[in-house]
Amino acid sequence: MNQTAAVPRNHDLEALADSLSACADELHARLMRALRRQQPVEAGLSQGAAQALFEHEVALRQQANNLYVEAAAIALDGMGATQQELLELAAQARRTIRGIKRSKDLAGVAADLLGVAAAVAAMQPERLLTPLQNLKSRLASLHDENSA
Amino acid sequence: MRTILSCIALLALLAGCASESRLAEVRGFADEAPKLAGFADLSARFRDTYKREQPYLSAEADAREQAIDSKRHQAYPDFVALHEAVTAYLRGLGALAGKGRYDFSGEVRAMSAGIQAWPDTGLLDRHVDAYARLVRLMVRYGGLREQDKALQAMLRDGYRPLQDALDAMHTLLRYFNKNHDNEQRIVMGMLAVEIPYADTPQSRLLAALAKSHQQEKAGEYRLLGLRHTLAAKNVDALRARHAQLLRGLAPAPEDYGATPPIYAPAAQPPASPTAALQGARP
Repeated sequence: MNQTAAVPRNHDLEALADSLSACADELHARLMRALRRQQPVEAGLSQGAAQALFEHEVALRQQANNLYVEAAAIALDGMGATQQELLELAAQARRTIRGIKRSKDLAGVAADLLGVAAAVAAMQPERLLTPLQNLKSRLASLHDENSA
Repeated sequence: MRTILSCIALLALLAGCASESRLAEVRGFADEAPKLAGFADLSARFRDTYKREQPYLSAEADAREQAIDSKRHQAYPDFVALHEAVTAYLRGLGALAGKGRYDFSGEVRAMSAGIQAWPDTGLLDRHVDAYARLVRLMVRYGGLREQDKALQAMLRDGYRPLQDALDAMHTLLRYFNKNHDNEQRIVMGMLAVEIPYADTPQSRLLAALAKSHQQEKAGEYRLLGLRHTLAAKNVDALRARHAQLLRGLAPAPEDYGATPPIYAPAAQPPASPTAALQGARP
């Protein structure tokens, strides 16, 4: 509900700011025409008068910019929940990937264990060495990852 | 024993074959995330408007600008949070679509090789059978199909929040651009108003320096205008590509084919498991 109410409100502010900017543009065009018409400039519009007119233009633009930043804040009002959903989905993806990695580690351990078991079952101790070493280094690396 | 062995070999074969095209598409989409850096840069530039305007402002205008400046600084962390949420989602999506992420075929092959290297060594059938069950489980939960399913879920659940966030980014970029226009006209206007009065024989040096500065500033603002346009275009492109990815999901949910064009403001999200969550959102 909040969001649907907020949408027209920031659009209203933007429209108001746009019209203030347009007024400033109009004022600027007049000022520039007045400055161009007089050669030399001292003959007509005084520097003080030109500065005063320009000051009005600046004030209009500042009011417009003030409304743009307020509209921006309103546009972000409803975004908290949206951002939370995106962050939660990203976290879920990370959890899924961690789960997959664990399954792969498990598969590796199982393969090594089978090698050990087979060597034992075949009563060929010389064949025991490689699978045992594999298993040892895999478990060590898993341990390192968990403690990291 | 023979049947189990051939069964494992078959499973190892199956794990490898399925279409990679959607994964590649999603990876390509997620790789676009750096293009949103323009939004981050321009929101920082928006925040720093006052610093750039200050030398050109009168005392009264300076006082007014300070109040606006504090509002811009206040809003800035929210711009950053928005950008971070979107990039976190895209990174997660990219990681989930990573090549071989769900691919257990290497493990499955290693395991079946392990069995075949030790035939008739006295390993009991039930040992091998337990092992084969593990292999079967991995093939069922691994493989491209499962990866594709996880990706589809993330795309569907992320549809509405991502579109909303990109819409907000697009709107904010429009405000940044309009703010930029006014900043430009304040700075360039001050120079345009003051230069005619400095253009006298006594202050030729001042006039020359001011005109040179004017040219420099004009170039800077022209480039910045282009950057705003480009940043908005990038956000649009990402939004369109995301919508296109969703339209391509297969099998399409029954009610998804009737979804109105994504760009329409009233576009409905596709049915998703988080529909209840979205409904509860204010």
